[in-house]
Amino acid sequence: MNIKVNNISVNRSGQQVLNGLSFELEDGHILSVMGKSGCGKTTLLRVIAGLGSSDTGNIVIGGRDVTLVPPQERGAVYLYQEALLFPHLNVLDNLSFGLRIRGEHKKSADEKARDMLEQLDLASHAAKKSEQLSGGQRQRVAFGRALLVSPAVLLLDEPFSNLDSETRAAMQQLYRKMAQERGITTIFVTHDLKEAVIMGSRLSYMEAGKLHLYDNLNSFAADTRTGMQREIGFWQSFDKK
Amino acid sequence: MRKYIFPVFIAFMLILPFLYLPVLSAAGAWKYPSLVPESWSAAHWDRLLASRDGILPVVTLSVILSGSVALLVTVTGFIFGRLLTGCSGKRQIQAAGYLAYAFSPVIYAYCLQFFFLKAGISGTIAGVIIVQFLLFFPFSVIYFISHWGRNMVSLEELCFTLGSSRRTAWRMALIPVSVPALRTAFLQIFVFSWFDFGLTQVIGQGRVSTLSLTVWQYLAEADPYIAAAGSCLLLLPPAILMLLNEKTIRFRP
Repeated sequence: MNIKVNNISVNRSGQQVLNGLSFELEDGHILSVMGKSGCGKTTLLRVIAGLGSSDTGNIVIGGRDVTLVPPQERGAVYLYQEALLFPHLNVLDNLSFGLRIRGEHKKSADEKARDMLEQLDLASHAAKKSEQLSGGQRQRVAFGRALLVSPAVLLLDEPFSNLDSETRAAMQQLYRKMAQERGITTIFVTHDLKEAVIMGSRLSYMEAGKLHLYDNLNSFAADTRTGMQREIGFWQSFDKK
Repeated sequence: MRKYIFPVFIAFMLILPFLYLPVLSAAGAWKYPSLVPESWSAAHWDRLLASRDGILPVVTLSVILSGSVALLVTVTGFIFGRLLTGCSGKRQIQAAGYLAYAFSPVIYAYCLQFFFLKAGISGTIAGVIIVQFLLFFPFSVIYFISHWGRNMVSLEELCFTLGSSRRTAWRMALIPVSVPALRTAFLQIFVFSWFDFGLTQVIGQGRVSTLSLTVWQYLAEADPYIAAAGSCLLLLPPAILMLLNEKTIRFRP
């Protein structure tokens, strides 16, 4: 579903965190959001998810104004830096958790969770508890749990920041592939320039409570704020040596 | 050899009171300088079990009273801990929670006695439950404020965005995740209540007869053998609870 954010402002303790922020993201696209720490990226995701309120503006998901709709009814799943698996449940039950709390029968929910385990290449880990999984495996379960409830919008808040570079690269491919296959509109917050480019079908940069969307990769690269020119320059300096 | 001496010595010191009490309660004759009793007897236990109106009603009342206090304090502390999450005055409330422990529980009870007398609950089981609740509730709130950290709040929010109502989130996620913390809090408060003497003595006014008070009476009567037998009973329920708690933690699947 497409998402439309209109003139969102958030003031926290006198600080303008979001300042009349507006953007529109088409159905099935992945929007990478870059920006310095404290620029309001997480606040933006929380407002879209309904976990935080805004002072002005409105949010429209799939043509429905959800500004005053509680998070349970928005269809926007928020994924954190930590996988946040439930320690009292095994991997299969963690995966089917979202379906079970929506009232789906255990047998049917488990069937869907087993299918998802196959797709995530975690079939042999179904009976394990979360503490028996690696960081990458935990994130995969968290991602699968979110996908199973067929969200209208997926909100990812630096989900790979705690992973090593190799696992991170594998997860980026997996996330992108699965989100695109299902056509889920995704907003992906990251500090990592390379990750933003790999993951995003649309690119953006956030500063002073506003979000700037770029038309294409070239315009993103041309903006000095994104740090892409500096990165290119760094690698070119090796060529000269 | 040396690496075993200290652990064995420390283990012996920890176990000593638990060994001494059963031995004393079953001692027939034990005179100085013998390290162990010269004879054994069940007479002290017979006297304890047959004494006054019988020990069973006292033990039953103590279990019900401590169980009620522990349950009430644990549940309210858990809920209040959540309610205080994100509140601006959380730190001040947490600091104020320690005020209840700034002075002796007996003095605390005497300060409150006037209100209990006015309310007509002095000398009743309800009065003892309420006064123990008032003293242990701050401990529970302090404990659960720490439990309701960022991670727990994030779990709750995750449930919401996955489509869960607040009630379902608590039933299927937050309470099951909190079971170890709830169990530990319950156990600790049960032990506090079980061994309480001052609050029960002052507010109960001798009309609420718990096992702690009964054992104290035997000590006051200078009968160490029967007091030791009573102390064994006193130690039993907390020991069972601690053992169960330890086993559940260690053998958690």
